[in-house]
This record gives sequence, C-alpha cells and structure tokens, in this order.
Amino acid sequence: MSSSLFILDEDLEPLVSKNIRSIPNLSSILSSFKQCYHWDSPPILSQNGWFFIHFKRDFLHFISVIHATDKPSIDLMSILAFLEQFYHLLRKYFEINVLSKNIILDNVLLVLELVDECIDFGIVQVTDPSIIKDYIRVKVNLPKVPIDSDEWSSGDESSSSSSEYSDSEKRTKKKKKKKKKKKSGKAKNVGKSKIKSLMVNNKENKGTDVVEAVKETFRNKNDTGRNSPDDDLPNDGNDLYINGDIAKTIIMPISWRTKGIHYSKNEFFLDVIERVQYLMDFEKGIIRKNLIHGEIVCRCYLSGMPKLKISINKLLNKDPQFMSNLKFHQCVSLDSINIIEEEGRDSDDARSQTATDTKEIEFIPPDGEFVLCQYELKRHVKDAPMIKLQGFEIKPKLKKFKIQIITKIQTNFKPTNSTSKLNVKIPLTKVFQDYRIDLSKQIRFKANLGKVVFNLSDDFLLWEIETMKGHRERNTGTVPQEDDASTLASMVAEFPLFNQEEYDRLQEELKTSMNPPPLRTGPKLEELYKQVHEERVLHTHDVAPRDKLVSIDFEIPYCTCSGLKVEYLKVEEPQLQYQSFPWVRYKTISDDEYAYIV
Amino acid sequence: MSDQRVFARYKANEIVTDLQNFGVKKFKSNTTRRKNALRKIIANLTLGNYGEMSLLFPELLKFWQIEDDLEVKRICHEYIRVMGVLKPQQAKEALPFIMDDFKSRDGKLQMLALRTLVLVPLREFSDQAFDCIISLVNHKAPPEDVTRMAIYALLDLDEIDHERVLGLSSILHEIVRLQSSPPEVVVAALHTLYSVHEKNANMEPFELSLDLAFNMLELLPELNEWNKATVLEILTTSVVPQHYLDANEMIELTLPYLQQVNTYVVLNTFKFIMYLLNYVDVIKESLAEKLSNSVIALLDKPPELQFLVLRNVILLLLSRESSLLRLDISYFFIEYNDPIYIKDTKLECLYLLADKETLPRILEELEQYATDIDIQMSRKSVRAIGNLAVKLDEDSVHDCVAVLLDLLEFGVDYVVQEIMSVFRNILRKYPNNFKKNVKELVKHTEVVQEPESKNAMIWIITQYSDIIPNYLDLFKVFSSNMFNETLEVQFSILNSATKFFIRCPTKETEELCMDLLKGCTDQENNPDLRDKAFMYWRLLSLTKMSGTSSALTFEALKSVVDGELPLIEMNTKLDPTVLEELELNIGTIVSIYLKPVSHIFRLNKTKLLPPSPVLNSNKDLLPVVDNSFSPTGANRNRQNSESQSSTKSRRTAMMDDYDKPAEKINQLKGKRKSSSNNPSKLSRKPSTLLRKLSMKRPFS
Repeated sequence: MSSSLFILDEDLEPLVSKNIRSIPNLSSILSSFKQCYHWDSPPILSQNGWFFIHFKRDFLHFISVIHATDKPSIDLMSILAFLEQFYHLLRKYFEINVLSKNIILDNVLLVLELVDECIDFGIVQVTDPSIIKDYIRVKVNLPKVPIDSDEWSSGDESSSSSSEYSDSEKRTKKKKKKKKKKKSGKAKNVGKSKIKSLMVNNKENKGTDVVEAVKETFRNKNDTGRNSPDDDLPNDGNDLYINGDIAKTIIMPISWRTKGIHYSKNEFFLDVIERVQYLMDFEKGIIRKNLIHGEIVCRCYLSGMPKLKISINKLLNKDPQFMSNLKFHQCVSLDSINIIEEEGRDSDDARSQTATDTKEIEFIPPDGEFVLCQYELKRHVKDAPMIKLQGFEIKPKLKKFKIQIITKIQTNFKPTNSTSKLNVKIPLTKVFQDYRIDLSKQIRFKANLGKVVFNLSDDFLLWEIETMKGHRERNTGTVPQEDDASTLASMVAEFPLFNQEEYDRLQEELKTSMNPPPLRTGPKLEELYKQVHEERVLHTHDVAPRDKLVSIDFEIPYCTCSGLKVEYLKVEEPQLQYQSFPWVRYKTISDDEYAYIV
Repeated sequence: MSDQRVFARYKANEIVTDLQNFGVKKFKSNTTRRKNALRKIIANLTLGNYGEMSLLFPELLKFWQIEDDLEVKRICHEYIRVMGVLKPQQAKEALPFIMDDFKSRDGKLQMLALRTLVLVPLREFSDQAFDCIISLVNHKAPPEDVTRMAIYALLDLDEIDHERVLGLSSILHEIVRLQSSPPEVVVAALHTLYSVHEKNANMEPFELSLDLAFNMLELLPELNEWNKATVLEILTTSVVPQHYLDANEMIELTLPYLQQVNTYVVLNTFKFIMYLLNYVDVIKESLAEKLSNSVIALLDKPPELQFLVLRNVILLLLSRESSLLRLDISYFFIEYNDPIYIKDTKLECLYLLADKETLPRILEELEQYATDIDIQMSRKSVRAIGNLAVKLDEDSVHDCVAVLLDLLEFGVDYVVQEIMSVFRNILRKYPNNFKKNVKELVKHTEVVQEPESKNAMIWIITQYSDIIPNYLDLFKVFSSNMFNETLEVQFSILNSATKFFIRCPTKETEELCMDLLKGCTDQENNPDLRDKAFMYWRLLSLTKMSGTSSALTFEALKSVVDGELPLIEMNTKLDPTVLEELELNIGTIVSIYLKPVSHIFRLNKTKLLPPSPVLNSNKDLLPVVDNSFSPTGANRNRQNSESQSSTKSRRTAMMDDYDKPAEKINQLKGKRKSSSNNPSKLSRKPSTLLRKLSMKRPFS
C-alpha cells in the first residue's frame, strides 16, 4: 500500500504530504515525480524505483507513492479507488463542489487527520463521509464570505430545482427553515462563522438561501440531536468533540450507520435521477450513443436503525439489462436481490415460490445523503431521444446577403410532463469560418418558443426555451408538423453577410456626401468580435469536434427516461415505531454529452 | 485566520516567539496563537523545511506535557513521526511522553501513540511498540479499534523484527480461527497474517482451510467495502477448493459483490471468481454474462479507474482461446475526449476483440480515427489496421487492405508512412495476394521520411522488383543519400543493393552494389555496417572468383542473401504460466504492465495456482454451458472423505469424480521452469501491438 500521500497544487507544489511509512526524504520523492509527470501521462508512473499513482481533480493532484520493494504486487486498484473516494470525502467534508488550493491550505490538519482515519498503515479502513464526519469533528475552516454561493446550490441538484417540485415539498422545506431559526440561537455556540456566512448569504441571494438553510438545519439537527452536551462545553477555540459511542461504529457489523441517531421528524427523500447521454450524427443519421446513466440518490433523516424496503418496477419485471447493470451502495444486502435473480433463472424448481417472494431492495441506510444505486442502461437505437432535433439547416441566401440558421426541436415524452430547463446550443464557428458575416448589421432571431442569445466570444447561439410540453408521436398517419407550437419549437437566426458592393457604395457615399455617417447605437459587435477573436484565429483553422455539436441541455422533472418507477417504499424501525415521511421524485436530465453532430 | 501566513517558510525563532506565550495560558488569544504556531510547524514540514523545524524540538516537548488538546497532541505526534527519522537522538527524548499518551484511557490517544511508535524506525520505539501490543493482547477487553490498529501495526513491525512478529502470529491465528472477535478485527488479523506470509520469501504461501474460508465469505455482508475487498483478495490463492462443488459454492457466495459501487470490491470479486474458475468443471453461461456485465459497468468510471479496468480487460481477453467475456465492441470505441492512455488501451482492446464478425465495424471506426486530427491517434489506428490484417485470416485481410488503400488516397504524409510500415507486414504474410497494389504503394516513395517507413519502402521495392519496371530509380532515391541515413536504413539499403545484383547481375546493378559496398567499407565509421559490407563483399567475391571450384555456388549465395523469408504471425498470446500469474493479480500494478511480478518487483514472490485434485490443466478446454446444464453429479454422493470432513453439510459426496483421469492434475513445476528460462517469450507481450513485430527479420 501507499508509502506516502501527497496533495499538490497545479504547479506540483505540495499542499499536504502524509508520510505513511516513514520515508526519510519526502521532497526528493516529489522531485522525482515532477521529473516524470506531464499533463497527459497515464495514472501510474514510475521513476527511481518509486511508483506514483496519481490523478488530477479540480486543479489538485492526488498522489500516492509506493516503493518498488514495498509489497508483493502493488494493489493499484485499491489505491486508485481510495484516492477517488478520498477526494469525494474531502468534498463532502468541505461541502463544496470544487476543491481549491486555499481550502486545502486552510485545513491542512484536518486533511492529515482524515488520512489518518481513512488508512491504517496504508491499509484503507473507511472512507464513508457520514461515518467519518461523526468521528472527526473538526470545524471546517471555510472562507468567511462564501464567494461560491452558487456552487452550493448547483452542487445539490435536487435541492436547487426544489422550487419546481411539489407543494408538499415546499412546505416541508419551509418548516425546516422555521426550525432552523429556532435553533440558530443554540447553534451560535457551535459554529459562529457558519452562521455568519449564512447571514451574508441571506442578504445576497434569496434563492440559495433556502438551500443553505436546509443544509444548515440538517447539520445542526445532527449536532444538537445527537450530542446535545456538546453545546454546554466551553468553546475555547477547541473545535473538536469526540463521541465515544460513535467512535466505535467503524467496527460494528453495520459500519455505515451510527447508533442513537434521533430526528424529531423522520423523513426519507429518494430521488431518481437519470442522465441521458445521446450522440447522433445528424447528417448521416447514425446514432452513436444512446445511454441512460441512472442514479438513485437518497437523503435519510430517520431515527434509530430503520430498515427500508424499496421495490422498483424494473426489479419486479426482472428487466435483465437493468439487473445486470445495477451497482449498489455497500449498505444494501445484496443477497436479497440475488435471490430474486436466482429465482428468475431456476425456473424449473422454484417457480411456485417466485410469485410470493420478495422482489425488493432491503437496506439499513446510512445517515444523510448517499447514492443508493447506480445503473446504466443502453437504449435501443430505435428509441427516440427525449428531445429530438427535428431539423437543422444552414441556408445561405447569397443573393440577399443573408444566411439563415434554422433549427427545430421536438419533445418526445409524456404530454403531461414538461421540461423545466431546455437550452440548445448551436455552434457558429463553422459558419463564421465559411462565410464572411457582417456583424455591423443587425442579427435577427425568430423563435416560436423561448429566446435566442448570441455568444460572441465563444461563437455559439444559445436558445433558451425553459418549458416545453411533452409530446408522443402518435401512430402513423398524423404528421408531426401539424402539431402545435408547444411541442415543436423552431428557431430561425438570420445573419447578414458582408456585401462588398454595398460596402463600397456606402464608402463612396460617405466620401462624397456632406452628411455625417449615420449614428449607430448599441454595442459595435464587429469590433468586439474582432477583439475577442484576434489571437485565436491565428492558431486554429480547424474546426474542433466540439464545435460541430448542437448540444441540448434539459431537465424534465417527474419523469424517468427508462420508465423506472419506485413501486413502494417502506420504512420499518422495530424499536421506535415512528411515523415516517418518505418522498420520492424523479427527474431526467441531459448528460454532458447530449448532442447532435452537424 | 489568515492562511497564507501559516503556509510559508519560517525561521525557527519566529515560531518560538509565538510559542513562548504559554506562560499566560489563561488568555484565549494566546492559545489560538500558539496553535497557529504549531500549524505553521506542520506547514513547514510539508514544505520540507526540516532543518529549521528540528530546532523547535525542546519547545514542542514542553507543550506535550501541558496540553491536553487533541489537536496539539496530533501535531506533536506528527512532528515526531517526521523528525524521528532525521533526528533519532532527539526523538528518543519524546519516548516517555508517547508512552504517557498510550497509557491514557482515551482510545484515540492510544492509537496516536501506537502509530507514532511504529512509524519511527528506531529500535527503542519498536521495542516499545511490541510491548504495547502485547499488553493490549493480554488486556481482557481491549478497545476494539485499538486492537484492530495494533494488528495492522504488526505488519509494519514485521519489517523491523520478523521473529517477534512470528511469535505473535499464533494469537492472530487464534483470532481468525475462533471468529469470536468483531469482524473487522478478524479481517485485520487475516490481513496481517496473509501479508506477512507474502512478504517473506522464505515462508510458505498463506493457506486458509475451506471451513474458515466459507466462514469469511459468510461474514462478507457485515464488512465495510474496503474490508470486503481485502477478504476477497486474501482468499484468492489462499483457499484451495478440493472439489468442483467447493468452487461453485464460493462463486455463488461472492457473485453478488460484482454489483458493488466500489470498483475495488468489484475487481477483487472478479479476481476471486477468475481464480475459482480454475477449479470448476464447467462455466455457466449466466456467470460469463455477469462477469461481462460487471466489466462493462466498470467502464463508466473516472478515466483513471477506467484505464485500470481496460488493462485488465485486455488481460482477460488474452487469457482464453475463446474469450470468456462477451463484450460488445462499441464500448471500446474511442471518444474524442478520452485521455491518450485510454485511447491507446481501447485500441488494444479493439485489436484483441476483432474477429470476422466484428471486423467491419472495427475497421470503420479505425478508419475514422486514422483521419483524426490527432496525429498520434491516426498513426496508431493505421498501425492497428495493419496488425489486424496480419492477425486475422485471409478473408479479412482484403477488407483491411481496402481500408488502407483508401487511407493512402487521403495522402497525409504521416498516414502514408505508417501505411508503408504496415503494408510490409501484410506483404510478408501474403506475398502474392496484393501484387497489383504494389505499384500504387511505390508511388509514394518520395514521401516516406522516417527510418521505419523507409525501411519498409526499400523492402517492398526490393521484394517486388520483378513487377516494378523502374525499381532501380526508385531505389536510388534512398541509396543516393545513404550516408545520411540511420543505421537501420543503411543496412537495408546495403542488403537490397546486393539482392538486386544477385537477382539480375547487370552492369547497372553491379555498379550500384559495388559503389555502396565501397562506400560502406571506406567511409563509414560504424563497425557493424562495415562488417556487413565486408561480409557481402566476400560472399560475392567467393562466388565470383571461379566458375567450377568455387567455395560457394551461386544458389548458396542467393539463399544466404536473398533467401525465403519465414511467414510472420502476430503473437497475441502470452505464455500460459505468465497469464495464470497475471490473472491472480488482477487489479494490481502487474496488470498494467502485463508482465510477471518478478519482472517488476524482483524480490517478490510469484503467485501460483495451488494444486488441487480439481485444478484444470487447460482452461481452453473448459466448456461454457447454458444455464439448464446441471453441474456434474451435483446431487450425487461423493466418497471423498478428506474433503467431506472439511466442509460441513454444504454438499454431498459424489462418485463419478473418479472418472477424471489422474493425469489431469497439472504438473506445474516442470512447466514453470521452462517458462522462466525463456524471457524472450515474455517480452513478446501483446501490448507490442503498436510496436514492431517481434519476428527476427533476417537481413531486412
């Protein structure tokens, strides 16, 4: 296992170094890493008898160093998996989405401590944030005024979009907010700076405030609910509390949940989020990729040791593809699922039993947020995409010195649903390269839905539609074109082309006439364009693959692309027997890659 | 606190002034200030400012006594750990304080202390560490987390004092055997035992009885993810199934873990199952399917992990005549945003996966990559197409060649050069099939620049001189500039010139040949080239001198210089013993390099498949059956008493075990020797896909 760990900044300077097996001179190791590293080197490097396993996340390098004589065959997988987990742990700990150099520097000791806790003599022990959070209770040294307040919200996708969700959801949030206010008095002792940052945020931004508040309450709820004596402790700059009970959790049979968790209101949130990845060659009509990356994200605020049972329609139907591509969180007792699978197979013996047997996921959830399962589904080539590019055309009208870009998109999901976000990005690099576009004249956009924005510096059009209703193609006969505008959106952008003749004439006129040149208001796009593109044009003449993609970014609540549905969700806590509130919601969003090559 | 100030190089005395405020302890501001100073120390240690920091030792010791704060303690311990190596004398002074910490009742402090004791490589420290561990063991109810850590600590201590650790190993055995301690402690004990065995070359490989193995497997659901993986890793090779049913049962037990989120667990499960598959009679279709699915699911991970998985996929693909995995090739198509190392690896996978059915799709993809903007990528894919042509049979080669010719029209010089290099190989394998294309190829004589493609071009011109009318002119393009070429190219020019002369001894060829020979012997400094020239010269003169009593007939000369070339073949297979070892090392560094452990870590032990009555000698013979097939004699009685006693009521005995002939047992020892003496075989690993063929090419 690792001999030492490093976290380096972008210039490969050490931020944190952790000597695990007492190596005399860490700096020399680091310099040999610098020798062999270059930006796209594979994740494992070797130099001077040292092996470096490294990756780069958010401008930080995570490196694990091993000596060639260390152990029989280095267990690379464990190290890489650990580094990955550790990175997530840090993010969870700092509650930010993107780690930065400063936050690491501010919390060097905390990071060291985390490493200590995660690995014993190089052997990975535990990386579950919810557990370690109870174990190491060092106050995170966050910047006083969080500049990245929008990152907070974007990080928590489910909560950022919460406002669009059901009313009941809103109500609970409001309640929590109230609760938070009540508690804030208490919480002041615990984390003054947190509150302060929250106040700043309150003023700044009302939208993120809800998210923050909710988060804050959850955290405080944990704090106050579980170890209320903490509040009475004198807080003399010592931010560290240990809960003896919790410390033992790691070695309990159920290592991911501590005992004695208590919430006054027991809630369980389950979000099914499906990211659709789609890539199609529009000209050739070839679908390159049609995948669904699904995730069931849960947030658990339940007391005691609850046992949850979830049934999913796909499990019931024994969808073979779904079954085989399912990955579970460690808390799920995999036996229960496997039984189902086996039954599906041994149809001769156990057919009678299958009908009655359980087809559910059974688990004791960890506290707080976690990903219950992940799955990946391949869609059939014939399955139409959720948002379909119906037409894309670049129509030069040379006689009129105009060029038109016509784009049409159509939805393809249940008519009862609608998108909450829908952005179409249309690249213009090629258009600008192929044609001489006269930006001094007006660009005209026409769209039956949403608005169109022209991004000058990066050469693309952004067509923001926001809500668009669902639509299912009816059985043959009806022509989709007849549909109303709410399901078939079209947009025309018209760019003027440079007209040499006219230009010459105007110049001539200017010279001869006495009139001053016509007054122009508004920004001079052509000059701006020139400024931005001056350097770039020199370097690249080729059209990068990225510039050929019409990418669509969307979000459809209440809908899963794969048709996955949670049939029921049971919460059982034999001892406490409380009433619990499970919430289930669905969402389909576009993956980073949902695009048409044009 | 302002952080930039903490993280900067300091002089010792600057920090001292901060620290010395402790006289007035009451004030809060001082505590924070002191703590800040301590943080500065840690920051400076990270920066490598050891010299200055070592001066602070006495200050730190003062603190140790008076502060109870855990954070301060942590800093002190961290300091000792770093400094212990550099300043052993000073570190010794801290020993009593460490022991004080250990004696405290706080588990966390105890762990801190024990860790420090182990990490400072000094005799005194490790002695104390042993004492501590022994005292822990003797303690009636030691805190579990401390015990667990102590057990892991033994592993490190083993390097310092192997004998003493061995003395304690009986306790560990006991823990594993009784299974009464918390599961995590059991795993820790198991792991330490296993690692100690692995580390020491003179110890036997660790073995675990079947009973215990089954117990451990049943414990799996209770363990956290990392420990699950550890157990699975240890069980690989340390438990030996004595019967097919043992293996099958274990596979059943581990199968669910293929669905974990944690890649490490999945891959270790994978490894364990692959290991067990050496001990089964048949492989169920469903199992193969599950394994394939889990591999594919793993590909949806960050690139680094993906890389590792892909490397292992290659390994698995190689391991059988007909692959166990059913992987759709589309998963290995390259994305434009893949890092270069993933691209390479995917290319290799595609190459290995290619067969008659998939070839059209793969070729289509490769052709696309070949016209990619990325030069490296396009070269590599051309290379891959060429290699596919050589690897596959005669029907497929035409498709490959068609693609190559298409690309030739594309006309970019690096693509053309690459095509030349691969075309030589194709022509080597199918000398007569593509004669008509040779003319097309030699049109590009002027384009080739790199040594390898020049070599290839020269070879093609020479080999097909009979169908190229102006071959000498083409050849002169190279020969006229011979003395500026690399050695390789010079060799081939020399060789070709001689060949021309022998084939068709006209005035022109003679002149050309003699000029070159003269040039090489007179002007050239490289001894190899000179020698070669002399050799040709002598050969020629020997034959020429006299008509009848010549020492060498013309035929003999021709066979020496212009002999028949052996057929070439792409070697995609690894040596079976190496493969076997690699399979036992899935997920480790070995699988990245696809080389046996001994090549990377010289001192390490080789993992071997332990012998067992049911070990399959040849994996390729292992049938893959569909699900309806019931394993042989699953319900029949078995009379193998020794293994019956080893497992409880898990299975019933069976008779027809006897019909397996005894010679099926693998004679591992003899086989292994032969392979280890033959390193050249190993170097011919499949990842040379993108490099040269490993065939020896006489005089080319």
